[in-house]
Amino acid sequence: MDNLDLLKELCETFGPSGWEDPVKEKILEELGPLSRLVREDRAGNLILTVSGTDHSRKVMVSAHMDEVGFMVSGIEDGYLKFRTVGGIDPRVLCGRRVQILHDGRYVNGVIGSKAVHHQTEEERSQATKVKDMYIDIGSFEEGEDIPAAMCDYGTFLSEFVRFGEEDRMIKAKAIDDRLGCAILIELARELAKNHTMLPYDLYICFTRCEEIGYSGATVAASVIQPDIAVVLESTAVGDLAGTEDHARVAETGAGGVLSLVDRSTIYDEDLIRFALATGEKHGIPVQVKKWVSGGNDAGHIHKSGRGVRCLALSAPARYLHSPSTVICAQDYFCMRDLLSHMLQDLQISDFETR
Amino acid sequence: METKSIKQWILDLCGLMSVSGSESYDENKLMELVRPFFDSVERDPVGNYLFLKKSRRENAPRLLLDTHYDEIGMMVREILEGGFVRITNIGGLDPRILPAAEVVLYGEKPVFGVIVSTPPHLQKPGESSKLQDVRDLLIDTGYTKETLEKILPIGSPVGYMPRYTELEGGELAGKSMDNKACGACVIKALSETDPDELAADVYVLFSAKEESSSTAGANVGAYRADPDYAMCIDVNLGKTPDVSKDETVELGKGISLTYGPVVSRKLTDRTAELCRNAGLNVQPYIATRSTGTNTVKIVLGRAGIPTVDVGLPLKYMHTYNEVLVLKDAEDLCRLVREFVCDARIAEEFRRG
Repeated sequence: MDNLDLLKELCETFGPSGWEDPVKEKILEELGPLSRLVREDRAGNLILTVSGTDHSRKVMVSAHMDEVGFMVSGIEDGYLKFRTVGGIDPRVLCGRRVQILHDGRYVNGVIGSKAVHHQTEEERSQATKVKDMYIDIGSFEEGEDIPAAMCDYGTFLSEFVRFGEEDRMIKAKAIDDRLGCAILIELARELAKNHTMLPYDLYICFTRCEEIGYSGATVAASVIQPDIAVVLESTAVGDLAGTEDHARVAETGAGGVLSLVDRSTIYDEDLIRFALATGEKHGIPVQVKKWVSGGNDAGHIHKSGRGVRCLALSAPARYLHSPSTVICAQDYFCMRDLLSHMLQDLQISDFETR
Repeated sequence: METKSIKQWILDLCGLMSVSGSESYDENKLMELVRPFFDSVERDPVGNYLFLKKSRRENAPRLLLDTHYDEIGMMVREILEGGFVRITNIGGLDPRILPAAEVVLYGEKPVFGVIVSTPPHLQKPGESSKLQDVRDLLIDTGYTKETLEKILPIGSPVGYMPRYTELEGGELAGKSMDNKACGACVIKALSETDPDELAADVYVLFSAKEESSSTAGANVGAYRADPDYAMCIDVNLGKTPDVSKDETVELGKGISLTYGPVVSRKLTDRTAELCRNAGLNVQPYIATRSTGTNTVKIVLGRAGIPTVDVGLPLKYMHTYNEVLVLKDAEDLCRLVREFVCDARIAEEFRRG
């Protein structure tokens, strides 16, 4: 069933690194009766175990629950000062709608800064620094309680929109990495529905704090000690008009992206070959990333414990870490189907360490 | 009969597309909303809409209420490979809010788009501190170049996606409240005023092209209306933490009245008095040269029309999240109602 409602729900959920609870609740709700197979580890990751026929073999698939966001660092004259959580370009902050979670309630705000009429020539050519911005949640009378406080978390407020030719594209916040979470939920549902018995134990992991590099996945991997891990992610692409071919990184609409090397990992060659072959066998588009950039949970997972063979399968995504991240809907389904086939075709003995 | 709230009026009018030069894009919707409350409307060669509501009094003087109807925006310049679009600005865009903004391209049908940005992962060191010129920005439409060329002619207007958000202190945030929020206040006021109450024949000028370098709307509109006296109503720069108090007006403290060489001091004083009597708070605002509004065009429009310049406080002007306080808009609405019914002012400013 090709349905994007699950992805929409997850993207629109609030969950900056450090405050993933609303995402956890949403995932458990979506898993329904399967949620009884989920445990939460001490780092706050959710781990769903799907028992197979051979408990000595373990495969981990993971996606991170957190998104980039903000923390309120102080209140001055009724305006909220803030710091970013995760890597956000200051140029996508000015003028934005945001949400602050205060005392269990979502409070709307706008990131303000000086009107263009008051800006100097220099200010008009320079990006405003985060320290000079503030969140405006409205004005209050003296003595009135302000519904925000230092240490509150915030995220962008941005609707999930389908657009482009035949609505093939999606714009949303937090596609990185709710897309991975959605695929894992669909995977769990599919395995349960078909009563699939895999020849290994599968650990479906929803991890915390990837965006700040702390990586809940480190903990999950060292607890599970898998033989193989597949990280579902999104990767920045530069496939814009006028970009040189080699610098386009990957193409939206051409299937999931396999990383060869990024800033934290050199990926497992055998797994990359296996992923490409699986794609070819089942007629599912898959591509290889043409650029060395970024990093993800694989950087932590591959060197955890006794070492783990790692693969990253990422959605090609434009404008990552902005409130308007853009992907092609088809890539979501390609990744979902490729992962499913890989897990079913996987002969774990092919990956025995010699 | 239940009257429409000021918030609803603002949502209805600000949600229309009226980028300078393309003011007629949503003409049918505009007429549906506004026309029923007036005796006549005319559209002139520069794109103004001039609505007339006649007083029942014989030989009533003529009053012009100007609120510019156009909004800042962009225009399609070039369609590129992959359905990306190059643009130019229409009016004074704030360059700092463009990357990742949601826009609508108004071709043969509305096309949703996102202004592109470079993610941190692909930036070169130091890149994030520089702003790109609007002419170098691209809009991602998700179409192929071939299809887009068929549905989006070069020169099509581009506006910010209308999205409105309420904040905690009775504020509303969204696009183009500069200046259609003022238009909403004026129309609401007149929709609730009986012709018997009107002290003058009231011409409401939804002027075109204020945000562009042309400002032709007010010149032509004032000439055509030929009023005895006028009120120019536009948003005024709201106080934010990074700007000094004397360059701005405060939100939630009522409307502003501009003092300076351009406006009619006498009419301004009368208006201030009117506000006092009606219990409306007024914030004085000083403009020693131009008012930054249509006022000077109206004053000069026909041999010196006495004009008062009224402001509605608005923060983050020219962004897609301009912020106003609804209570201020209600105050403006009340002021307009009092002003159009004030026989003393009408007689005092009737031309001799």
